[in-house]
Amino acid sequence: MMNQQLLAKTFVELADNLVADFDLIDFLRLLTDRCVGMLGASAAGLLLADRDGELRVMAASDERVRLLELFQLQSDEGPCLECYRTGTPVLVTDLTREVERWPRFATAAHRSGFASVQALPMRLRDEVVGALNLFRAEPGPFDPAGTLIAQALADVATISLLQQRTTHRSTILNEQLQAALNSRILIEQAKGKLAERRGVDMEQAFTALRGYARSHNRRLSDVARAFIDDSEPLPGLAV
Amino acid sequence: MRSDNRSARVQVLVAEQAARHGGRVGVADVCTAAVAALPVGGAGLSAMSRPTKAKAAASHPLCSTDDISEQLEELQLTLGEGPCVDAFLHGSAVLTPDLRSGRLQDHWAVFADAALEAGARAVFALPLQIGAISPGVLDLYADVPTVLDPDQLADALAFADLATLLLLDARIDASAPPVNTPAAERDFEDLGGYRAEIDQATGILTVQLGTGIDEAFVRLRAHAYMRGRRLADVAADVVAHRLCFAPDLTRNDDPTRNDDHDQPDDHDQPDDHDQT
Repeated sequence: MMNQQLLAKTFVELADNLVADFDLIDFLRLLTDRCVGMLGASAAGLLLADRDGELRVMAASDERVRLLELFQLQSDEGPCLECYRTGTPVLVTDLTREVERWPRFATAAHRSGFASVQALPMRLRDEVVGALNLFRAEPGPFDPAGTLIAQALADVATISLLQQRTTHRSTILNEQLQAALNSRILIEQAKGKLAERRGVDMEQAFTALRGYARSHNRRLSDVARAFIDDSEPLPGLAV
Repeated sequence: MRSDNRSARVQVLVAEQAARHGGRVGVADVCTAAVAALPVGGAGLSAMSRPTKAKAAASHPLCSTDDISEQLEELQLTLGEGPCVDAFLHGSAVLTPDLRSGRLQDHWAVFADAALEAGARAVFALPLQIGAISPGVLDLYADVPTVLDPDQLADALAFADLATLLLLDARIDASAPPVNTPAAERDFEDLGGYRAEIDQATGILTVQLGTGIDEAFVRLRAHAYMRGRRLADVAADVVAHRLCFAPDLTRNDDPTRNDDHDQPDDHDQPDDHDQT
């Protein structure tokens, strides 16, 4: 059941992020989190194509779905890849029926606790740049209204790429995607450093980095770099 | 994944350049291969570093394919301005199809005129970077106004990626005994699907080793080479704490020494090794 208020609040939040000097990775993560909170998905992942057209996991609402997305890329089969390659949505209401179609993925998804999935393309004019994937623990049909909203969220993610592009003066999409990938790498490096220093897991480290960036009104990737380079005090983060 | 792998193709082009002079693959080969593959007249590469608490920013030219490239590298490092400096500071490619555009001449007042004087008209600066690891910049120039199309730009970025790894590997080669695996056959393809573990492991090693991020990455790769293991597998072990590295207290004078040790299932990380 869709909550209208939550929906309105989410779009206001996303729009707020886009007009500010936003951080792409942080934004995409927020988007996957909201797919879970608002659309009743159990988990969500977002993949973008790199300059070679190979998909990379750019954001995932949790570690379980990130690993499943990686598995999908590695085994080269599954709904998200199909969605990206065909440029059309892929809806699977019961993954146990798709064992022949995607033998490795269907098994892995079941083991991760997912029963149904919808993959929505991120389209930019005639180019497909990635896919947004919503997983659910229960089998069954998807609410058509929810699917429309999910596609709108996928489109917002695509717009965020363009927005990022204009703020960075880069005119070529693949260079922009490359820069986005690099800030993803930067954040993973910072997560590793913070997790090791505090003895926490990667998810807790990410939450702490993002919390610091938000409360100090800074871009996540700037905080990550300053933390790795030890170039600023960062009170509360760098002890 | 797809078979039309750009990185693999670029590696072959660079290896062919190295085969011509019969030496090891180096960043100079990346420059000559890039010039052969792209609509540019020359290429140059500079090592650069950010200022940290410990040391000031430093930069020096490493190689260039011709006189104009050499002048462009030196100009930017001397003046402290230009596409290369911007690419390094912002961590994104700076593409300048025509230096004679008025806006650019304002932006790099001294550099733009000097570069035109030297014979360059278009300049493309590509940062060498893996997240926070950013050892330098690859500069390409053309003597006529030039726009790189998306495919050419993707090639240029792939050359820059390979240059990044070669530059970092040179540190392994400089300090380590000869590695059995030739550079061309190393695990460059590893920077794919399992990337996050590699990056997280690199971050973890900055704490375990008490080093900067560049050194941590070099040590991670060196460990993988010397034991003939895949980088992704070593990284996964580090993230799961099945493998811990110890700070190298004797400075890296004997890299063959077994200075990292396997600790199967040791989840009790000592919290008291605060290296910073």
